Amino acid sequence: MSLWLFYAFGAVAVIGALGMVLNVRNAVASALCLVATMVALGGVHVLLEAYFVGALQVLVYAGAIVVLFVFVVMLLNLRRDGFPPARARLGRVTAAAVVGAALAGLVGLALTLPETAVPGATAALPEGFGGYRRVGAALFTDYLLAFEATSLLLLSAMVGAVVLAKRRGGDA
Amino acid sequence: MIPAPVLELRAVLPLGVLALGAIAVLVLDLVMLDRSRLFGRSVTRAFVGTLLSLTSAVFLIVVLVLGVQNLVHGSTAVFNVANPLVQLDPLANFGVLLVAGGTLLVCLMSVAYLAELDINHGEYYALLLLSASGMVLLVSATDLLSLFLGLEVTAIPAYVLAGFDRGRRRGNEAALKYFLLGSFASAILLYGMALLYGATGATTLEAIRQAEVASSPLALAGMGLVLVGFAFKVSSVPFHQWVPDVYEGAPASVGGFFATTVKAAAFVALLRLLAVALGEGASWVAPMLAVLAALSMIVGNTMALIQQNPKRLLGYAAIGHAGYLLLGFVAATPEAYAAVLFYLTAYLFMTLGAFAVLVALANRGHDLERIGDLAGLAKKRPALAGALTLFAISLAGIPPTAGFLAKFQLFAAVVGAGHVGLVILAVGTSVLSAFYYLRLPVLMVMREPEGPPPRLHLASGEWLVVGVCALAVVTLGLLPNGLGVDSPSLLPPALDWSRDAITALLASR
Repeated sequence: MSLWLFYAFGAVAVIGALGMVLNVRNAVASALCLVATMVALGGVHVLLEAYFVGALQVLVYAGAIVVLFVFVVMLLNLRRDGFPPARARLGRVTAAAVVGAALAGLVGLALTLPETAVPGATAALPEGFGGYRRVGAALFTDYLLAFEATSLLLLSAMVGAVVLAKRRGGDA
Repeated sequence: MIPAPVLELRAVLPLGVLALGAIAVLVLDLVMLDRSRLFGRSVTRAFVGTLLSLTSAVFLIVVLVLGVQNLVHGSTAVFNVANPLVQLDPLANFGVLLVAGGTLLVCLMSVAYLAELDINHGEYYALLLLSASGMVLLVSATDLLSLFLGLEVTAIPAYVLAGFDRGRRRGNEAALKYFLLGSFASAILLYGMALLYGATGATTLEAIRQAEVASSPLALAGMGLVLVGFAFKVSSVPFHQWVPDVYEGAPASVGGFFATTVKAAAFVALLRLLAVALGEGASWVAPMLAVLAALSMIVGNTMALIQQNPKRLLGYAAIGHAGYLLLGFVAATPEAYAAVLFYLTAYLFMTLGAFAVLVALANRGHDLERIGDLAGLAKKRPALAGALTLFAISLAGIPPTAGFLAKFQLFAAVVGAGHVGLVILAVGTSVLSAFYYLRLPVLMVMREPEGPPPRLHLASGEWLVVGVCALAVVTLGLLPNGLGVDSPSLLPPALDWSRDAITALLASR
């Protein structure tokens, strides 16, 4: 059952990702394809018993971040003819081919490699794994410093945004 | 009931002091901006800038004192023994000294410069301190998680600082380029870290080495991607394209900050990563690092020969120096690691000094844009010209300066590890570098002055920074160990400390 669900979510995620990249005509549709991918990834998290992370994935990525994308896209009102004409087409095709070949090689390598368990992956899940209680406890005990450092990161991003965007006296 | 973790706050004291300093500067700026007066007296913008710079300096000096004390005692503090994200060991303390010292010099030399460029805003100092707190996290990180957070807290304010002069197109271009390429490099680094976690099931550097999976393809790919990310951060060829553009576009003081402080922190973190996470299994990265080092030395020093913009020249020179530093990682012996730390110290003072001279020469709202404008400086401003000559001599690695001793130590250690070919290349490119470094004094002395005269008034902060750097370059070259271990407060025994830091690091793993 969960294997089939994984295939279903995986397929939605891949199709959504392809739709986002290939849909060059309409940026809003691209962003909505991204929503589909994010929701499907949230489903994969739930299948891995990471319920809290799954919920966050939907709330933060599918909800907040992509909505922000859509806002920006609509504000900028981009149309296809608004982009500068694509130059150096050959170079781009070559680059895409090289990256694609490398990716295909990696996938092929992964398929041929013998199945080895990731260290720690075979251990039984602890009680309450993936729940908000456990995530919260980890966040405020073991990873307290990382949590606080992230707030420093947000502070610098905020100060930076103000510095770069605020209207100053005398500035145009 | 969740048991409360046992924390040792001493391990994050420097980080906390710097973060607190950033917030204090922001609040102080806001209060004074709002009222334009202090204790009932009206204040000018220049006064506010000076006050904020001095406030930042106080916090940075506190951190410096903390670092010196910890180094003298050789103490190690772990924040949370149950899950050690950071560890303030001698190596971290050495890094803290480099970071706090570099940031302090940048703060002091910026006061008049920001006013000259008409970008005298308080957020500048707050961003410097935030970036410095990220670097303190970076140099003390013993876990992939804190390592990545440290890199990002360092980088985000740095992106903004690169474009701090919003009115200038080059600055905007530099900030955008730095931001896009930097984010890209961070993503690659993070991907590599995810693969390393997948291969080992651990995020602490110590546990990654103990997992002994260096030969598994997953770990190889992960470590390779992490190295690519770091190669970007330390500006090594072929991930160097952003360096000259960013150094040229950013204000000169910020360029100096990137070239010295940010780079030193990234190198210290790389040292800990390679020494702890790879340990004896590091042999397979040596050829990769050797290629990076050789390319950086050749490309950096060759391209610097043909530059006309002084900031751009220092940018390419910085790439060359990154190549020399990477040699130490190829050798990977304790002596080589210690030599890397000493080189970073010497490099900090000589490069920051050169940038400080450029800051002092900024005129009428513009940086010095052409090397030709240095012509005749020896007549107009003999002291500045003398200082720049000293820095150039040191950067080229000519005795009796710090640059010579640092290069000598490093090259000797690398030869000791058996990499003679690389050292021959390094010496060859050093000779090449002497051409473009020594062109500066020749221009300043031999040519007649042309172009606009330099600024009439130099701020005391600029004199102070140029003086301190010049003094440090000479004393580190002649007395690398100060006046002995007994009087570290006067002249720090930098060479001994670098050796102690590496010994402690290798002994603790």
